[in-house]
Amino acid sequence: MLKITPNEIKLITSYIYDVSGIHLDATKKYLLETRLHAVVEEYSCSSYHDLCRKARAEASKKIERKIIDAISTNETLFFRDSGPFELLKHKIFPELIDARAAKSPVLKTRLRVWSAACSTGQELYSVAIVLQELLGDLSKYSITLLGTDISDAAVAQASSGKYNKFEIERGLSKDKLSRYFTPSGGNWKIKDQIRSMANFRKINLMMPLVGMGKFDIILCRNVAIYFTLEDRKKLFNRLAQTLEPDGYLLIGSTESLTGVSPRFTPKRHLRSIFYQLK
Amino acid sequence: MNTMTILIADDDPVIRKLFEKRLTNAGYQVRVAVDGMDAAQQLHTSCFDIIITDLVMPGDIGGLELLQIAKQRHPRTEVIVITAHSSIDTAVNAMKNGAVDYLEKPINFDELFLRLDKIAEVNSLVKNAGDLREAMDVTESMAAKTIQNLEITAGDLQLKIDRLETILCDASRDQQDRIDEALDVIQR
Ligand SMILES: C[S@@+](CC[C@H](N)C(=O)[O-])C[C@H]1O[C@@H](n2cnc3c(N)ncnc32)[C@H](O)[C@@H]1O
Repeated sequence: MLKITPNEIKLITSYIYDVSGIHLDATKKYLLETRLHAVVEEYSCSSYHDLCRKARAEASKKIERKIIDAISTNETLFFRDSGPFELLKHKIFPELIDARAAKSPVLKTRLRVWSAACSTGQELYSVAIVLQELLGDLSKYSITLLGTDISDAAVAQASSGKYNKFEIERGLSKDKLSRYFTPSGGNWKIKDQIRSMANFRKINLMMPLVGMGKFDIILCRNVAIYFTLEDRKKLFNRLAQTLEPDGYLLIGSTESLTGVSPRFTPKRHLRSIFYQLK
Repeated sequence: MNTMTILIADDDPVIRKLFEKRLTNAGYQVRVAVDGMDAAQQLHTSCFDIIITDLVMPGDIGGLELLQIAKQRHPRTEVIVITAHSSIDTAVNAMKNGAVDYLEKPINFDELFLRLDKIAEVNSLVKNAGDLREAMDVTESMAAKTIQNLEITAGDLQLKIDRLETILCDASRDQQDRIDEALDVIQR
């Protein structure tokens, strides 16, 4: 296997940072080698230096996409940390729906939810399942569930709604599994009724968030941990601009906005923390 | 969803065509090579997830040689060898040398599709495991930093509160003075 030199580590980590904001340093040598060698092979690069050069030069961005797919960590599971989903069910959705219904009693109640680094979709589908169970008949509501991620491969899997047996075992009760999924080959596929509630597309959170409108709920969980403090600050300030004034922000259970963004205040309900604009 | 790339190496044009048609229809990206030499040349410029090769081909490069070349160039590539029933021993030998599986002639495509699904499944489980380990590393080290940061912030606040208490309780001083200094501490 092709070895990566210290100088190449600098080149490749700065390339990865430029295209994704993912911050890696020399301690991640093993990660770069194990994850990028397939791309090096596929494009017959003579070295990691060569890979960087080709990736930067290529207009179609094919190599860039492959590198991002390879280097991004898509670890996720259904109903991760359970707390936030209890919170959505018992507090956030009921409150938002009441507030929105009071504002425009004639029109369908509008709800917009964004999973800002949705990986392979489990997070957004968990939200969809909560909504389905809470509201039953969804025809009275106008619900937008948007999932975005920087990895094309992750977005493609999210769109397909297909999961292998390892992914499906994590976080789903037997009951939810049989109610919302159908077996397909050795895998499982989310039922159309849930699939059709969600939309997925590619968005790089390091870029300006234009034309997204405002959301009632933003989930931005376990992605900022891959960024520098400076970039985390910028990200959460940008998210503040895409959140409704009475909207809710949910972050990962091991994350904190203390010292990151002055625009949000943490609040607690049950055993979970959520954030709202000051 | 069958996004795997497959190279077929077989000198029999009928078998090549058959593989190409069945696998393409199933959604795989397929390329063919007319013999071992052709396959080896393609490996110089392309990389495949899977190579399906006949064990016996004319020329210097047979299935076993191709297996060796493939594994050397692209360790990640999986090789399936095709064998006549009479030469199972050679197929087993190929597996000892790194082939994932063998198929007997005549090819049973249902069986082949099952094996391809298994390979895809193992690949996706390997990716899941790698991601899990990496996510755990990053989450843990970032959580440690977050806790440190919160500890320091909490410590600083405690110091401030202690200082405020001292200032505000100092009965020897004028009230307005105490309030002014307290405000100063808070705003700092
Ligand atoms: C560990 S997963 C978190 C998934 C899910 N939110 C959860 O908490 O389970 C992190 C995801 O962030 C994505 N990501 C990394 N950098 C990104 C960026 N600059 N913009 C958007 N997504 C990014 C990765 O592709 C990966 O799928």
